Amino acid sequence: MLELHHVTKSYAGRRRVLDDLSYTLAAGEYVAVMGDSGVGKSTLLNLIAGLDTPDAGDIVIDGVAMATLNDDAATLLRRVRVGFVFQAFHVLPHLTLLQNVALPLLLNGLDSARAEAMLNAVGLRGRGQDFPRQLSGGELQRVAIARALVHRPALVLADEPTGNLDPETAHSVLMLLRDEIKNNGASAIIVTHSVAAAATADRVLMLTDDGLYPA
Amino acid sequence: MNARNALLTRWLLFGEWRAYPLRALAAVAAIALGVGLGFAIHLINAAALDEFSAAVKSLSGQADLEVRGAQPDFDQRYYPQLAQHQGVALASPVLELDAVVPGRQQPLKILGIDVFRAAAIAPDFIGIPAQGRAFDTLADDAIFLSPAAMSWLQVHQGDLLRLRSGVHIVTLRVAGGLVHARAGQRIAVMDIAAAQWRFHRVGRLSRIDLKLTPGVNRAQFKAALQRELQGRLLVTQTRERTERSADMSRAYRVNLNVLALVALFTGAFLVFSTQALSVMRRRSQFALLRVMGLTRAQLMRQVLLEGAAFGVLGSALGIAGGYAVAAAALHFFGGDLGGGYFAGINPVVHFTPMAAAGLFVLGVVVALLGCAAPAMEAAHTLPAPALKSGNEAGALTQLANPWPALAALVLGALLTQMPPVEGLPVFGYIAVALLLIGTVALMPRLSGNFFRLLGLRHARSAVVTLVLARLGNAPNQAVIALGGVLTSFSLMVAMAIMVASFRVSVDDWLSHLLAADVYVRSAQGGDTGALDTQAQMTIANAPGIARVDFVRQTQLTLAPDRPDVMLIARDIDVRDPGKILPIIGAGIVPQHGLPVWVSEPMADLYGYRLGQQIVLPINGHMQQAVVAGVWRDYGRQFGAIQMRLADYRALTGDMDVNDAGLWLQPGVTPAREIATLQHLPFGALLEFAEPGEIRAVSLKIFDRSFAVTYLLEVVAIIIGLFGVAATFSAQTLARVREFGMLRHIGVTRRQILGILAAEGGLLTAAGIAVGFALGLVISLILVFVVNPQSFHWRMQLHLPWGMLLSVAALLLASAIVTALIAGRYALSGNAIRAVSEDW
Amino acid sequence: MRYLNLLWLCWVSLTLAAPPQFAQVTPGHTIVFPADYGAHPAYRTEWWYATGWLQTPDKKPLGFQITFFRIATGIDDANPSEFAARQLIIAHSALSDPALGKLLPAQKSAREGFGLAYAATGNTDVKLDDWRLVRADSGQYRVTVVTPDYRLNLLLTPSQPPMLQGDRGYSRKGAKPAQASYYYSEPQLHVSGSVARNGKSVAVSGNAWLDHEWSTSVLDPHAVGWDWVGANLDSGAALMAFRIRDVHGMPLWAHATLRDAHGSTTQYGNSEVRFAPQRYWRSPRTGAHYPVAMQVQTGPLVWQLTPLQDDQELDSRQSVGAVYWEGAVSLSRDGKTAGRGYLEMTGYVKPLKL
Repeated sequence: MLELHHVTKSYAGRRRVLDDLSYTLAAGEYVAVMGDSGVGKSTLLNLIAGLDTPDAGDIVIDGVAMATLNDDAATLLRRVRVGFVFQAFHVLPHLTLLQNVALPLLLNGLDSARAEAMLNAVGLRGRGQDFPRQLSGGELQRVAIARALVHRPALVLADEPTGNLDPETAHSVLMLLRDEIKNNGASAIIVTHSVAAAATADRVLMLTDDGLYPA
Repeated sequence: MNARNALLTRWLLFGEWRAYPLRALAAVAAIALGVGLGFAIHLINAAALDEFSAAVKSLSGQADLEVRGAQPDFDQRYYPQLAQHQGVALASPVLELDAVVPGRQQPLKILGIDVFRAAAIAPDFIGIPAQGRAFDTLADDAIFLSPAAMSWLQVHQGDLLRLRSGVHIVTLRVAGGLVHARAGQRIAVMDIAAAQWRFHRVGRLSRIDLKLTPGVNRAQFKAALQRELQGRLLVTQTRERTERSADMSRAYRVNLNVLALVALFTGAFLVFSTQALSVMRRRSQFALLRVMGLTRAQLMRQVLLEGAAFGVLGSALGIAGGYAVAAAALHFFGGDLGGGYFAGINPVVHFTPMAAAGLFVLGVVVALLGCAAPAMEAAHTLPAPALKSGNEAGALTQLANPWPALAALVLGALLTQMPPVEGLPVFGYIAVALLLIGTVALMPRLSGNFFRLLGLRHARSAVVTLVLARLGNAPNQAVIALGGVLTSFSLMVAMAIMVASFRVSVDDWLSHLLAADVYVRSAQGGDTGALDTQAQMTIANAPGIARVDFVRQTQLTLAPDRPDVMLIARDIDVRDPGKILPIIGAGIVPQHGLPVWVSEPMADLYGYRLGQQIVLPINGHMQQAVVAGVWRDYGRQFGAIQMRLADYRALTGDMDVNDAGLWLQPGVTPAREIATLQHLPFGALLEFAEPGEIRAVSLKIFDRSFAVTYLLEVVAIIIGLFGVAATFSAQTLARVREFGMLRHIGVTRRQILGILAAEGGLLTAAGIAVGFALGLVISLILVFVVNPQSFHWRMQLHLPWGMLLSVAALLLASAIVTALIAGRYALSGNAIRAVSEDW
Repeated sequence: MRYLNLLWLCWVSLTLAAPPQFAQVTPGHTIVFPADYGAHPAYRTEWWYATGWLQTPDKKPLGFQITFFRIATGIDDANPSEFAARQLIIAHSALSDPALGKLLPAQKSAREGFGLAYAATGNTDVKLDDWRLVRADSGQYRVTVVTPDYRLNLLLTPSQPPMLQGDRGYSRKGAKPAQASYYYSEPQLHVSGSVARNGKSVAVSGNAWLDHEWSTSVLDPHAVGWDWVGANLDSGAALMAFRIRDVHGMPLWAHATLRDAHGSTTQYGNSEVRFAPQRYWRSPRTGAHYPVAMQVQTGPLVWQLTPLQDDQELDSRQSVGAVYWEGAVSLSRDGKTAGRGYLEMTGYVKPLKL
């Protein structure tokens, strides 16, 4: 469902971050990407999400080449097909948990009923009217996971989802993330430093200066 | 605080200012504006008042007491009596005239003096004749002019000066100067006998200046003499007259000062919003500092210091700017800024250190007050949660308690019922301030509830949800932006309603008053251009005239320490005075006694009631009169009394009139009649006006006198918008991460701009709605409390919808545009960097 | 004869475009009493001038001078105002006390009117606020002067009939017949009354001299000043002498009258009168040099004039602009005390501008 063809990206005046990278992610596949700091893990996610454009090469999602899309079209594609989980949660403070989770549904013009189900699914049953300030970090990330999957995206991108969490919480969040990805039949890429986190994926890839290789 | 701490303070302060120079500038500018306006108003008034007092004092010279009539002049037989009175060392008779100068709007003040008597009391007003012409000080064709009068009239020593005396021209020789007259004071001196003769005042004096024998107690002498004169004449001291002139402009001055305070108030909001947002944005930074060992007090001091820095800078700029503005305004507009209270003087601005210090402190205190809440907030935030992002909404929770705000509103409402304090609507102003504070404080709750309610109804679209949720649930931040807008808009609404009500009422009043077809006036300004009996006959018998309403207007001094009231004599039908006068309510037809009709301010100031027996000092007699009616008057703030012309003539023997209303025979046009009258022997001296022109001119004067008010309002609105811009920019920048996340989950750039525009628009709309409601309430206070109490004017409420709606629309549009500009700036950054800007 | 007189004259003559018609002084006019004791408003200027020597209870001498001027301004008669300044009343007074070393001067001026200031006709009655000179039908004059420094209440009682100056009261002042005044004196007046100073009133007595003079145009245009003396001689005689000086100090005109105790009068013409300065005093205020000690020669008689004190200068430049020396002098002839009088010297500060 996701194809990377000879993707190359460098930042002005700096070394090449990604060099001729090719990879194909199958539908329903959950891979973890590990690598040293600065090797371009986050850049890779941004390129896939259409938030950034490669210098060379193509990124194709479900047969659509991202390069052909303008910002609005890329945003629409992202809105429908992609879910995001961030290291810093990014749960909107002035929205209730339910509203936070329902956001992608609303953006896609879908009925927001599923939001409650997702909240239940991530273990926050009955807390839909709470505000984020009442939640712990682990709970916040559960909300973020619910939000990332509520609109049944084809692809979930997670950038260090447990970076701000203690190991115990991290584990439960990772299990939840994996379960929900699988339950929703989504493909997923998780970028992480954590071996424990990577271990929850179907496959683990190492991103190095030479390319993307199985660990 | 040791040197390192001071260094840290400076780093934090300058770092903050370097990062957000515009916002700091706006806060400083707002404080500067408030302080500057207040200082400028103070300086202008002080200068005008000083100059006016000095001019009044110089006119009286070193007299111990002045004896005046209730009317502008009185019988000279009192002069020898007073001159030979026990305890009087010297009596100097003076005939004071405001001579009509042909072709000029303003009169020339002439003092007719006896040089031999005046030399010891007012040596500055002894004319200096040409070499070898000492007798010119006694000559009956000579006049001496101050330098300012010479340059105003464009004459020199030896030239001839033409002045009006009745319907004739008197030609006087400019015999010399008054070199000791105050700079800028327009004044002329001539021999008292010449003045009496040339201006038809034979046997009349305006005042007698007294110098008492050394050792005589002035206060006791004054009281005794006043008793002896039994009210026929008034014994006054110069001080009382300068106080009186201060009183005359006091209400006007206080109103201007209140406007300056509004600017300062708005400035406080700007400081508050700037510091509040800055504190919010730096929560984690402060938390880090706290973690690293900065104490709570140190942190609080830091935030307060930043606010105080705004205050100090703003106040300093304000004092300097206020001085410059005052100097410029005095130069270009004169001492009353179009208010008309001080004519014929040329005030110069003097720096007043006390007032400057006071306003400086006020500016700093206001800035400190503005940042007090943010400082407390910063100091009391627990560092650990603050280090986590996404926690800003917790800030400023203490604003959530609604009770103080409600108490302010209730107290404000109660205070509107209080009477004035020394003629000033002190409680009215306090009520306005309390209502403002209360409403602004309640605003977060109000808007929060409102938008939450709205949010429950419309949760269909993501953008709408985002907007309403944010406005409903994070109101404190949003509403900070609103405080300034709310304050300035509501005050503008109040002012606009008040001015419109006033204007419409004045317009109605004018159309009632101007019932005649043509109005004739013998002279523009001054008191030497009256129409004598012969001129009256000539006009009344001119072809085309059906009826003439002759009007005699003179000043009446009822108390030495109160401003003069106007005595107006004309033909009034005692059974139907409403034909001529805008009578309020019912009148009575007195069976006996002299009927007089008093103006509304008069009734207020002197407590006159319908049917009341009053005593008026007319022509040296204490005349019994009955209040037969009260009439509306917007023209004379200090009161006016109308009586029948026949009564006035019988009482005073004064047959002159100042102006006349003409009713024309059918078929005669005003233009034709004016042409006819202009061919009378004295026709060229007359001024004609049709009711429409008078109305237009009156309304123009009205508008001009409110020009400053409008200007200050616009300034307040601009400060408010400035605040909105600063706040939106700040919030947008603070929300970069939020927008970044939204971009990640598929919100388009346009949608984000839409969110910003909607937020800005809705918020401003809410501000406008509440501001309008509050403004309406304040306007009620202005119309029904402040105006009657300070100016004794009552008016009908009138809402200028067109103007209000256009200002509201303009404000709304400006707010949306401001929000969009701020948003575009924020979105120009990279969404990727925004989300990874994590701690 | 007064310096001020001249000053006012020159003002009036310059001021009025069309000179008003004043009565003219002509020879052959008869002075008629009591009417001529009163004012003559038809003439331009007039004055009553009383000077004299007083003695206080402790035998100290004091000089006094009081002068009332009446000046017709020629202002339009058409002005109906009671304030119209047709006549001005000006008064000067000075007390000369050697113990002070200078004069105590005072002055007042006002326009006639309202009963506050006037010069009445019919008999001498001149008033200016609380200053007054009034002659009773008995011939006795009452003088009242109230100044910040002193207060005079004097009764002047004539002991002789009035002394008509010049040709039966027609007194020439120059070469032209019109340069003249009507002029009589009342010498040898007995003085009684009181002088109050510093809140203390003392009884005084002495003798005085009163001049009354009125005219319209008096002086030669070349005149810059004059010297005048009037003295009550111990013998009961009265002496009046004056000279009018030009810019070089040379006499333009001079005259003297000597009337003995029996009323026999000798007139000394222009060539018979000589003033010879003996000693000068320089005024520290004005710098003027006054011949305070003078020898006056009238025909064969030589009178030595000695001032009561040197500084008897009146400086009224602040008000009317005049500076003159007006002081008590004692007279001696042939080394023997002859009498007491007053000397007036004008035009010593600067030449008059005409």
